[in-house]
Amino acid sequence: MSALGELHRLGSTKTGPPRSRDNKAAFLFLLPWFAGLLLITAGPVAASFVLGFTDYNLLQPPEFNGLDNVERMIGDERLHQALGVTFKYVLISVPLQLAAALGLAMLLDKGLRGLAFYRSAFYLPSLLGSSVAIAVLWRQIFGAEGLFNQVLAMVGVSGRGWISDPDTALSTLIVLNVWTFGAPMVIFLAGLRQIPVMYYEAADVDGASKWRQFVRITVPLLSPIIFFNLVLQIIHAFQSFTQAFVVSGGTGGPSDSTLFYTLYLYQRGFNNFDMGYASALAWLLLLIIAAFTAVNFWAAKHWVFYDD
Amino acid sequence: MHHAMSRRSLLSLGIGLSAGAALAACGGGGGDAGADLSTDPVELRFTWWGSDARHQRTQQVIDLFTKSHSNITIKGEFKEWNGYWDSLATTVAAGDAPDIIQMDELYLASYAERGALLDLGAASKHLTTTDIDAAALDTGKVDGKQYAIPTGLAAYSIVANIDLLNQYKIAVPDDTTWTWDDLKAIGAEVSKASGGKVTGVQSWGFDAGGINIWARQAGASLYDDAGKVAIPPTVLAAYWQYLLDLAKQGIAPSPSVTIERAGAPLDQSGTATNTSAFGTWWNTQLTSLSAASGQNLKLLRLPGAAESSYYKPSMFWSVSSKSKHPAEAAAFVSFLLNTTEAGDVLQTDRGVPTNATVRAAITPKLAETDKAAAEFLDTLKVGASPRVTPNGASDIEKILKRHTEDVLFERQTPQASAEAFIKELQAEIDAA
Repeated sequence: MSALGELHRLGSTKTGPPRSRDNKAAFLFLLPWFAGLLLITAGPVAASFVLGFTDYNLLQPPEFNGLDNVERMIGDERLHQALGVTFKYVLISVPLQLAAALGLAMLLDKGLRGLAFYRSAFYLPSLLGSSVAIAVLWRQIFGAEGLFNQVLAMVGVSGRGWISDPDTALSTLIVLNVWTFGAPMVIFLAGLRQIPVMYYEAADVDGASKWRQFVRITVPLLSPIIFFNLVLQIIHAFQSFTQAFVVSGGTGGPSDSTLFYTLYLYQRGFNNFDMGYASALAWLLLLIIAAFTAVNFWAAKHWVFYDD
Repeated sequence: MHHAMSRRSLLSLGIGLSAGAALAACGGGGGDAGADLSTDPVELRFTWWGSDARHQRTQQVIDLFTKSHSNITIKGEFKEWNGYWDSLATTVAAGDAPDIIQMDELYLASYAERGALLDLGAASKHLTTTDIDAAALDTGKVDGKQYAIPTGLAAYSIVANIDLLNQYKIAVPDDTTWTWDDLKAIGAEVSKASGGKVTGVQSWGFDAGGINIWARQAGASLYDDAGKVAIPPTVLAAYWQYLLDLAKQGIAPSPSVTIERAGAPLDQSGTATNTSAFGTWWNTQLTSLSAASGQNLKLLRLPGAAESSYYKPSMFWSVSSKSKHPAEAAAFVSFLLNTTEAGDVLQTDRGVPTNATVRAAITPKLAETDKAAAEFLDTLKVGASPRVTPNGASDIEKILKRHTEDVLFERQTPQASAEAFIKELQAEIDAA
């Protein structure tokens, strides 16, 4: 906003043309972006909303079926399984991931030597974490004859097929998500740098323990950053797709134990030619994420502390 | 970055949707399949799934055809199995389907009943089917119309590793008389003799062929003629109980290993890695398996086979109903099916050819394992082919796999799984 205003002021001091001409030029330059937004994003989003109320198999014209899709959701056992899996994934992996990120950030904030190296090294997984290559690697590591079991065998523990066993398959994906703590960690690190050292010095003088300093100084002053990371990571986790798709070969198996919501949506749409229902599912996901975010913002009033 | 793929798939979803809306709006039709072949330049698109070896053979055949039809160019588009169906669904929805489509039995009715395929009867001027086995031709019909023509045939079989059996001094079973109990007993002998290094049987339960045969042996069928799921729950429960017994008694590998292998390529299977003495396969897979295993593999008839076996069309040729050049596309399909020229190149890669003349011409030139596969098919007693997979049931193997997992990990009893499976499959058919 301010940059545009700056530009405008520059223009007006020179020649003083009417405002509308400037705006026209601005709109002209924005046109490609607007066209993209309307055609590639807004158009399909609107179309999916309409299709959510239809029976549409991709090959024949969609047929309106009112609220049939909503009714179907209520009785759809696989959808309920997908919701269960996704909630479990989000509610376990996000707190663990943020805890790992904060812990590492505080360690790095101590100013140890080679900080830049460690920061990059820890950040790397979040660049790779949702890539196909890492998911393939994960499948190898946690396979019945994988690296993880070989290491376990060295210490005399006999492992299992972590990914092919429905009891543990989701856990491996949770571990994968926790491992990508780099992105929130970097943000935490920046936040920690903003906390004035004098608070800690004063607390030291008063004889406060490290734990007390963490609870009373670090957490409150860092709370806006924690909140930011929490909201972002919850949204990301709900949208996870690649890991489960690759690790389970697109099935969400074994026994639907890794059937993420997005994966189920994809299966309905592209494997079953069920685009109407898939569109309705997409909008349900939007509502769920919106609800989580709203609750987050509401709860934030009670624990997030803004220093201004 | 975190959701790069989900964003992309959402995008393609969006494109698919808007394209679909466009299609619904204009609904353009195809050309005339009965017209004379054009002398103007014609470009055809041809899509198939398969391995590298298949891509090379197919390209050779394309070159042969375009040499004699200089005004026609054919662009090949090939993928692996899973990506193939995702991509076909979106291109067909976008009204941009390839002209010539390699089709599978699982998807035939889904595409045909939704009007995506050309009735090849209308193209008989350029596409002759007189040399093709009538029973085989029938497998490509939906509602009495010839929407697809089978490229080749295959039959369900057991591949036995003769070298392993010799090594453990176990006699090769007589496949004209053996029963499922015999397979269990021999499998147990192998597991015992090898000390668990090799399992007797490689577990199955992930393909539609297995339950088709099992149902037929019980005097039932997977689907009835009307396209309803007809396999009785007790029959299906017995199927899963058998698989569960194999796993629990150490005759088959542990469920984890079984499931990992089910998702892995052929060359990582128990048969290909010589870690299972018996495995269920389509007979035409013998060549690939032998190449991977390096040992002496032999095709055996299924236990209790009698006439429960059937010819499964390995795959089909179809033409898009939206093709601008259906006459030329049909001429190309005819070339693929009916000329020994094409047969010489393709051999048994897409099944043992359904065209009797081509089959006779290429048999002497086949490799040993291909010959064995062809011979197996010739000497097999078969019953009538099962009904084509109904519209909506294309996903049967995915549903089957999920319930097999439930059974093997004992999350569900075989009986409960059987009932759930039947209910779910029927719901998919009803919804389509």
